[in-house]
Amino acid sequence: MYDTFVGLEIHIHLLTKSKVFCSCKAHYGDEPNTNVCPVCLGYPGVLPVLNEEAIKLAYVVAQSLNCRLSPRTLFERKNYFYPDLPKNYQISQFSDPVGENGFIDVPLAEGVTKRIRIHDVHLEEDAGKMIHAGDMSLCDYNRTGYPLLEIVTEPDLSGGEEAEKFLQYFQRLVRYLHVSDGNMEEGSLRCDANISINKTGGGLGTKVEVKNLNSSRFVRKALEFEFKRQSAQFEAGTRIVQETRLWNENRDVTESMRSKESSHDYRYFPEPDLPPFVPSADFLRLVDSLQVELPLARRERLKTTWGLSAEQADFVSESKTLADYFETTAKASGQGASVANWLMGDVQKELKHFDLTLEASPLSSARLAQLVTLLESGRIHIKIAKQLLIAVFEENKDPETLVKEKGWEAITTESQLQPILEKVFTEHSGVVEAIRAGDQRQKGFLVGQVMQATGGRAAPALVNQLLAKALG
Amino acid sequence: MAKLEDSWRRFSEKSASYTAYAKAWEAKIGAFLSFNPQYKPTSTSSAPSGDSPVAGLPFGVKDNIAVVEFPLTCGSKMLEGLTSPYTATAVQKLIDAGARPVGKTNLDEFGMGSSTDNSALGKTNNPWDVTRVAGGSSGGSAACVAAGQVPFALGSDTGGSVRQPASFCGVYGLKPTYGTVSRFGLTAYASSLEVIGVLAKSVGLTRAVYDIIKGEDGNDQTSLKSEPGPARPVRKIGVLKNLTGLAPGVETIYRESLATLKKLGYTVVEVELPTLEYAVSAYYTIATAEASANLARFNGIRYGLRPEYAENPEDLIRKARTAGFGDEVKTRILLGSYVLRSGFQDQYYTKAQKVRTAIRRDFDRIFEEADVFLSPTFPTTAFAHGDTTMTSFQQKLADKFTVTANLTGQPGLSFPAGLADGLPVGLQVLAPVFEEGRLFEVADRFAEAVPPADCPGTSLDWSL
Amino acid sequence: MKHIMDIRELEITAELAQIAFTPAELERLGREVTQMVSYFEKMKEVDTDGLEPTTHAFVKANRVRPDTVTPSTLADAALERAPELEDRFIVIPNVL
Ligand SMILES: [Mg+2]
Ligand SMILES: [Zn+2]
Repeated sequence: MYDTFVGLEIHIHLLTKSKVFCSCKAHYGDEPNTNVCPVCLGYPGVLPVLNEEAIKLAYVVAQSLNCRLSPRTLFERKNYFYPDLPKNYQISQFSDPVGENGFIDVPLAEGVTKRIRIHDVHLEEDAGKMIHAGDMSLCDYNRTGYPLLEIVTEPDLSGGEEAEKFLQYFQRLVRYLHVSDGNMEEGSLRCDANISINKTGGGLGTKVEVKNLNSSRFVRKALEFEFKRQSAQFEAGTRIVQETRLWNENRDVTESMRSKESSHDYRYFPEPDLPPFVPSADFLRLVDSLQVELPLARRERLKTTWGLSAEQADFVSESKTLADYFETTAKASGQGASVANWLMGDVQKELKHFDLTLEASPLSSARLAQLVTLLESGRIHIKIAKQLLIAVFEENKDPETLVKEKGWEAITTESQLQPILEKVFTEHSGVVEAIRAGDQRQKGFLVGQVMQATGGRAAPALVNQLLAKALG
Repeated sequence: MAKLEDSWRRFSEKSASYTAYAKAWEAKIGAFLSFNPQYKPTSTSSAPSGDSPVAGLPFGVKDNIAVVEFPLTCGSKMLEGLTSPYTATAVQKLIDAGARPVGKTNLDEFGMGSSTDNSALGKTNNPWDVTRVAGGSSGGSAACVAAGQVPFALGSDTGGSVRQPASFCGVYGLKPTYGTVSRFGLTAYASSLEVIGVLAKSVGLTRAVYDIIKGEDGNDQTSLKSEPGPARPVRKIGVLKNLTGLAPGVETIYRESLATLKKLGYTVVEVELPTLEYAVSAYYTIATAEASANLARFNGIRYGLRPEYAENPEDLIRKARTAGFGDEVKTRILLGSYVLRSGFQDQYYTKAQKVRTAIRRDFDRIFEEADVFLSPTFPTTAFAHGDTTMTSFQQKLADKFTVTANLTGQPGLSFPAGLADGLPVGLQVLAPVFEEGRLFEVADRFAEAVPPADCPGTSLDWSL
Repeated sequence: MKHIMDIRELEITAELAQIAFTPAELERLGREVTQMVSYFEKMKEVDTDGLEPTTHAFVKANRVRPDTVTPSTLADAALERAPELEDRFIVIPNVL
């Protein structure tokens, strides 16, 4: 009975070494006011100088979101007073942003995607941070001037749950592109939401903006709260006020910010200190070369190319690093599903046990491919393979080397196994006779004895086959 | 010329007498907000500077341009007591060439005014007549050069702020092509219009200083390499067909100068500049709009004036700005904020930028008809302190000859053309972008015929 | 021409500019603002159809700097100039 329209404004810190308009270090967590200079502190006489990496990454994102790329990007000043904004204007983009009119296909459920339109992508500078302490506020300008990319969606999301999924997917996307670490806890990915509701078919309603959403879960909860609040107002016939509200994570409610409306005229005008940016053909080629297969497309391709299940594909495509690792391993071993299973199961277990990331572990994709190949070709069997994985972690050696050193290669020929079989028969002649007399249940005991005698190296199929031959 | 510079170069050997001379003048004219002839600048270049034309020369720097360890007040209570943590590119280039900044010169607060009477921190008098203003906003820089306290000084020109005080004080004042001199270190008033300029006692020195300070700068992405066309002598001088509204003394000098130029062999052609009467509107719209943002950074938080007590950040910001800015600055910030407001922006700010385009086209056409364009720099000579015959509004209207070069970005030079009732009158010559050479050429030839007068009481012999 | 523009417009503008005015000051400065704004109306006479606005004097496009870090040697000098410090934080009041 109601339509809900949700749009997001997402800000990401771009992964540059230095700030966007000065050469101070762009680094989280340093001592307050150490990564500052006259430029980012807004001293009289200083001028902004554009970081080429920042504008490049901005175009990379805009292209990946299928935007129309601006042939002439203009920087503008957005004027408002706030203590964390040294110049009291933010250098941003307004009339001619890096990208406009894009879209992104977001997976909502297996086989279900939704196209969310992107209004625009623009590059701007971040503000500083303020800590409120009793009757004073403490200003730290280290973050001032971080390159910030703002992505504005159209109000195409239908509510909190979709918004949360969108945001999670978007986070993966920027990590795939390696343009941002997308870390919401450290504030390198931030999100404001706007929501309007209306009677079904009535089109957009009155827009309410919600800020202070520090996790994708809060985005969902805040939007769900707003839906309840606004629909209750509808029921009561109360007018919904266009306003900005803050999410209160302690009370699980949104609260009105009550700010003066007159202070919302940003008086944008072209930044006279920065020339427009006109991407050259070379620049656009470079931007194009930095495009990657996006998470959703990659997941679908992994399913078809390697025959992965939905679950396996989800797991393996979670990060680009993992997906790349998987594909290299799968190609080297020719085994998709098996590699995925290893990654989801034993490899995860051992990484946790040794407290390592995959990249930092001794298990290179070449080594995992070796291990899988050894297993699939029958040179080792599953129990040995698990032992071998642990050995790789412990000894940091190639599986081939370890198998040779430890003599773990499976016993796969009749001539190797026959003498051991005969020895077991001799030692357990009573059991042998019982089987010959028809007690088939005892067969398992003999198999166990052979495996024990070979240190688990005997190929079980061969053992069974020889037993059957000898005992009828 | 050589004699002038040589006597200045002896300055270092005779610093005591030089200081006495400069201080005696200072008591009369108040050109400097801070003066320190002992200042030892640090050069960033290892190249020997002995053969530079400015080696050993002291110079003044308008107090809206950063020089490390010197105050950077912009003539405002807002920044009283602030010293700069860094040095402007133009100043550093002069230091690297062996010149020595000795003081920061007075100005209209943040460059806003035509008299230097809008300074909150000092009063500057015209060396030719101390009851009169030095002009502005680079009034201190013009006065100290005219009085012989320094051979040259840096100023900034947003709408005539170098050329008009140069005219009032009888010195040369160059407003270079926009961008050819880095603005890094120049406290911004109107970023798309302004440029650091030179005030000097001679054409040769003006040119020498310009040659040193120009150049593309990594710290200013609007800076440019000067790329003049092939050199050729100036032949045709364009002048306005219908020129009215000049004070009688200025009118006379202007007419006499045209006759002199003709005698020197120049062809004087009458040209039309139909957009001239809109230049002041376009200029003040754009300048105040940009200023409203440029001056927003002054909020009492990171540096500068901090109010005794404030309830909260907003209260602090407002109190600092209310107490820190003078009336003229507040008026221009109000005006600039207004013309940018949504609902008004198209009508004023955007319209002004289009008018700016129209003015540029007018000048493009003029420079097809003439090699340079000549006019008086200002309609009057230096007016008296507190003179109420010209209101602040009328003073703004009188900027009409100078603001065009800021709107077009073209270079302009005010040169001393003679005296009217004992007061200097300057003429302004404009040229196409990068063609500063034409300006120097015309001013140089004119000076051969009509040498600039020295201000009474000036001397270059410090032993006196 | 109005003697002074709508005082409410001036108040909104002053609010945006974060400057406080007494009614007398606003009346006095407002007079000159009004005078200038009225004077700006003259620009309507100029036919600017088809003209692009000049937003920059003349600039070369694509000015960029490489993404390299220069250690901030002036951080301490800047902090020394701050009116009030608490450790390395710049302090501003926020009376509750
Ligand atoms: Mg933004
Ligand atoms: Zn910085």
